[in-house]
Amino acid sequence: MPRVLIIEDEAELREMIKTTLIRRKYTVMEASNGKEALLHFKPSMTDLVVTDLIMPEEDGLKVIIKLKELKPSLKIIAVSGGGKAGPGGYLNLAKALGAHAVISKPFSINDLIVKIEELLDKEQ
Amino acid sequence: MEPEMQPELKKRSAEVLSEESRISESVFNNSRLMISVINRDYVYEKVNFTFCNAHNVIGSDIVGKTLSDLWGIQTFCEFIKNNIDRCFEKGEIIRYEASFETPGNGTRYFEVTFKPISVTGKEITHLIAETMDINESKLKELKIQEKENEIREKEEVLKKIEKNIPIGIVRCRPDGMIVQANRAFFDIMNCYDETTIKQVNLKSFYQQEYLFDIHCEQILERHIENFGRLSLIDCKGEEISCRISGFLALDSPDSESYLDFVIEDATRELLLENRLIQAQKLETIGALAGGIAHDFNNILTTITGYSELILEDVPANSDLSEKVNKILNAVLRARSITNQILTFSRQVEQEKVAVSVTEVLSETIGFIKSSVPSNIVINSELIGKDVKVLADPTQLFRVFINLMTNAIQAMDENGGTLSLAMKVVDGKLVTNQLNKNIVADEYLILSFKDTGKGMEPAVLSRIFEPFFTTRDVGKGTGLGLSVTYGIISEMDGEILVSSKKGEGSEFFVYLPVRHQFHQPVQVEGDKRKILFITGDKHESRMLSMALENTGFILMYFSDRQQLLHDFAVKTNSPDLIIYMTDSGLIKPEDFLPLYQQLSYPVPCIIITNQNCTSVEDKLLNSGIVKQHLVKPVSLKEIKSAIQLSV
Repeated sequence: MPRVLIIEDEAELREMIKTTLIRRKYTVMEASNGKEALLHFKPSMTDLVVTDLIMPEEDGLKVIIKLKELKPSLKIIAVSGGGKAGPGGYLNLAKALGAHAVISKPFSINDLIVKIEELLDKEQ
Repeated sequence: MEPEMQPELKKRSAEVLSEESRISESVFNNSRLMISVINRDYVYEKVNFTFCNAHNVIGSDIVGKTLSDLWGIQTFCEFIKNNIDRCFEKGEIIRYEASFETPGNGTRYFEVTFKPISVTGKEITHLIAETMDINESKLKELKIQEKENEIREKEEVLKKIEKNIPIGIVRCRPDGMIVQANRAFFDIMNCYDETTIKQVNLKSFYQQEYLFDIHCEQILERHIENFGRLSLIDCKGEEISCRISGFLALDSPDSESYLDFVIEDATRELLLENRLIQAQKLETIGALAGGIAHDFNNILTTITGYSELILEDVPANSDLSEKVNKILNAVLRARSITNQILTFSRQVEQEKVAVSVTEVLSETIGFIKSSVPSNIVINSELIGKDVKVLADPTQLFRVFINLMTNAIQAMDENGGTLSLAMKVVDGKLVTNQLNKNIVADEYLILSFKDTGKGMEPAVLSRIFEPFFTTRDVGKGTGLGLSVTYGIISEMDGEILVSSKKGEGSEFFVYLPVRHQFHQPVQVEGDKRKILFITGDKHESRMLSMALENTGFILMYFSDRQQLLHDFAVKTNSPDLIIYMTDSGLIKPEDFLPLYQQLSYPVPCIIITNQNCTSVEDKLLNSGIVKQHLVKPVSLKEIKSAIQLSV
């Protein structure tokens, strides 16, 4: 079964995504910030990462760069609730850094599921 | 018979005569004046010693000679002859000043007098020329004259400055009576009758008279004082913001002390300052609201998510699913609000492209026209479609909808006219209008003018704040203008408004004009640029889609001129070039010279047909080609070629 890592500092939101994914039979790991995620990241045991971009302790953009270094084939979905860095904005930056899909908050959980399925289907 | 004079007496009388003539001779010779006697033939008959000394000659050298012998024919004709002729003809005494070259003493000034005399007692036979050296007094006089001219010139300059300087200068007595005031003071005070103002008291321009007295006391005590900005009342009775300073006039000729006031019009200064405060306030609110909206989005996502999970658990069309759907609808509305706040605080990413403002604006007019009440007329004066700005077309559309909806609502009771106008002006001209740096050579100014209710100053200063609304609760969120403000700021533009209660409002939108050729393709931050030279639009679309999410962006030109221009100005230097040799845009033989215009080597992928022509072979062997693909190629092949090339 595909293994998904959720990096999100909002506990309730993280819990909600987790519940939904478990329901769809995914194996779910979670981290409440970027630092924690990098500490426990196991490349061989992770197929896809859903990460927030604006977080305390190592922001999402840096996390994307480091995860890509650790596992270049890793699928990444970046999630952001607005906020801008530079002319392109966070989401565009995340794309440029190698995120395969970006979703802006607030999003429908079904949309997220569709994106995850698409990316993992392509893999197979 | 007459008795013969006795010899003794005769001798005596001869002696007396010769004595007298000796005296007169001596007086003649020792006069301080140069004296000569000249006859009608311009010949010197007699000269005195002073004359001889001055000319460094002896008398016998001069007597019998003509004036032109002594002075030279030119000087004689130009300066002397006509004066002598006048003296002989009219019998007048002629006096004039002249400068002559003198032997040993350079040019000196003389006063010359010609006096007519008659030896016969009848007609004028001779004239006496008296010449006085006035060199020293003349030089002094000239110096004084020169100084006077200098002073006069300086006075003129001062007068001109005083007249043209946009600063009011008023001299008054300590009781406030105005003694003198310059042009600018009348202008600033909106006073067109200079005569009345001279009888006016400066005090009467103050809102509180005691303030003037305080100012006077301070000047008398400290001699100079800066009073900062203060509102005065002008001749029309309107308030006017002025910057005032004053000093004691110490140069007053009489014993009375005068006070000089310097009064500057500070209306503009105040306006810009207020505008800046306004912008800073909006910036702060934006940051605050943006932060809240950001947190709200997290919460809203959680609510949506769980609601969707519940929907999975309960049967469709059940009572519970209906309720959950209502939650989801409420979330949608909340989402729209957070989105608008984020737009206001400029935290929403806009996909900016070159947009024709005229096109978007006419689209908006078309959209809104059907819903406009019949008593409201829309007049629009739009200019050509080639004026482009860098914008997200959807957001620009939103800006226009908001401004026009507001204008129409302001007129919905009594009807009126909404006038739209646009013009392009030089960037330098708007420098003073905008609070921000000028980013383009030209600016587009759009005006939305209504004849509606208008706004009071208190309302006017807050209209861009989020949730500020004058409408009834439930009618509108109070976010429309905030969003408009955010979108325009994000475009490096500015929105200004002027309004008068009961007369209507006018919104001005300033947008930097982007010339297509200066910025042909807007390229996102970190993406690497691939220049795709092909004649086929569909091929480029396909490749563009295939490159999505790969960190590359495709630059494609359908027009040869535009492509050449982009190469020449080097605005978007590519990181990679993909060249299809059968593209109609650039022939294979033209590619190499074009490539050499680039300032650094760019890797190239060349795509040719099965059988290469000799020109193509030459190109392939030129050393610039990283990859050579042969048609037909799959997208996969191109993608891997790109990976290998960079």
